Amino acid sequence: MTFIPASLMTGPTRPGTVLATGWAYIFTGIMLLFSLFPVYWVLATSLKTKRDGLANPPLWIFDPTTANYLKLWTHETFKSTFINSVIVTVIGIALSLAIAIPTAYAIVRMKVRGQNLVGAWLILAYMLPEFLFVLPMFSFYQWTGLYDTHVGLALMYQVHVLPLSIWLLSSFFREINPAIDEAARMEGASHLQVLMKIYIPCTLPGLMATVILNAIWIWNELAIALGLTFSKAQTVTLGVTSFRGYAALDWGAMTAASIVAIFPMLVFAVIAQRHIVKGLTLGAVKG
Amino acid sequence: MLKSLNNASAFWFILPCLLVLALTSLYPIGFGVVVSLTNWNWGNQFDYVGLSNFTTLLGDGEFWTVLKNTLVFATSATIIEVALGFYLATQVDKLSIRTDLIRALIMLPLMVSGIVVALMSKVMFDPFLGIVNQLLGVFGLGPSAFYGAVATAMPSIIAVDVWWQTAFVFIILLAGLHGLPRSPIEAARVEGASEFIIFWRIKMPMLRSLLVTVIIIRAIDTLKVFDIVFGTTGGGPQIATEVVQTFVYRTAYSYQQIGKAMATIILFSLLILIVALALQMLQQRMEEK
Repeated sequence: MTFIPASLMTGPTRPGTVLATGWAYIFTGIMLLFSLFPVYWVLATSLKTKRDGLANPPLWIFDPTTANYLKLWTHETFKSTFINSVIVTVIGIALSLAIAIPTAYAIVRMKVRGQNLVGAWLILAYMLPEFLFVLPMFSFYQWTGLYDTHVGLALMYQVHVLPLSIWLLSSFFREINPAIDEAARMEGASHLQVLMKIYIPCTLPGLMATVILNAIWIWNELAIALGLTFSKAQTVTLGVTSFRGYAALDWGAMTAASIVAIFPMLVFAVIAQRHIVKGLTLGAVKG
Repeated sequence: MLKSLNNASAFWFILPCLLVLALTSLYPIGFGVVVSLTNWNWGNQFDYVGLSNFTTLLGDGEFWTVLKNTLVFATSATIIEVALGFYLATQVDKLSIRTDLIRALIMLPLMVSGIVVALMSKVMFDPFLGIVNQLLGVFGLGPSAFYGAVATAMPSIIAVDVWWQTAFVFIILLAGLHGLPRSPIEAARVEGASEFIIFWRIKMPMLRSLLVTVIIIRAIDTLKVFDIVFGTTGGGPQIATEVVQTFVYRTAYSYQQIGKAMATIILFSLLILIVALALQMLQQRMEEK
């Protein structure tokens, strides 16, 4: 049988297979529509005038307007929440990399006593509910002046971001052949040099995936930001929340704010799809 | 001598991580346990009350309703998402075109924050002007009050979570399907085995462990639900959709009963631990088979 090309054997030879493949296309199409239609509809609503937006029955065809976005542009509170989110995301990622890279290296390549204990701790921190940490931290943050600051929020995000980063980075570091760094160590290189000169440059795509996943998580986080900020460091998720009350009267403002809040992540999804999939998959297997 | 130096440097490598984790998780849990034994109101009232927060909670009908709501939400959402996501993965796996773009588009909901998902759904589920009731009308169904009625509020929130998170299951299991070894599958095809048999006898046993992992992740995540309830119903109507984390938020910030809120979240954390351990034991037993 080996002389028959594989392509002939796997092709749809039976009528049942043709039907099954046809259904696979139809079902995938249905799910595509299911995933994309709400995003389209909210985008469309954000481009409608107030009157068109609240038309009954809903309008499928309308004159698009940018009025809602222009109004949002002059909405100082919303603008500052967007900027706050950028700042908190950058600080949060910088912190997580600075802490997770050496930790992952130590776990993978150095003997750390109590390694299993650290591992268990990471899993616990990752899976326990947000308010278990947020409520006690609320008073601590007020005593220490970390309440309602970018740094304070970025620091608290580490409880979720660190475990994921360490799992991902240690699995990337494990792919490096230990013979390479043993050779470098023989030449007299320190662990720090091995990490900086070999491990980080060799795992840049992995670092990229880690950064992107963390950025998405921090950008979208609500509960911790709700508990630990008030005005100066409010993030964009809280900025969007403030439009919640508009639900009955001004869909334009609410949907435009929603689109602006998710826009950076949608761009991420398109340009960094492979990294996101890699990170999610590895994260699931590790966690 | 050399060895102890090595150990010392390993210690310095993980020290920042230990410090940050101690501050952001160990301290709050420790202080939180203390608070749960008091009647603290964020202010000067801070008296030791023993386990009375826990005992009153266990005798409080509202707490049990909230817990039931949370479990109903988590179980339904997890089952639907895993079933739908897995089925979608098997279907996309059959396509003979490049699936990168399809995957990227199906993944979009996953990029959207929970609060935005909530607001989007409020626009679409509006009982009078929403597009969903109009679409249901085309099929002769509805109109539904969605978030406005006790009977439909929870199913609506479950539906929203299914829209939001099914792609996670899909992505992990599609990667799992792509990673399966080709030779046993092709061999079975040559032997004339039907696709049905190939799926259940060959692919399924190899995917089982990954499937349980996905179930664990979704179960824990749905138990912790907050954003989409907070953004849509806020727990209402009455307490039909109140879940543990929104209940804790309300107790702590609206009613200033921080001791009670802390006792609730501690009990709930124990429940999450038990669920996670039970599912993991199940996974280990399956791997031994």
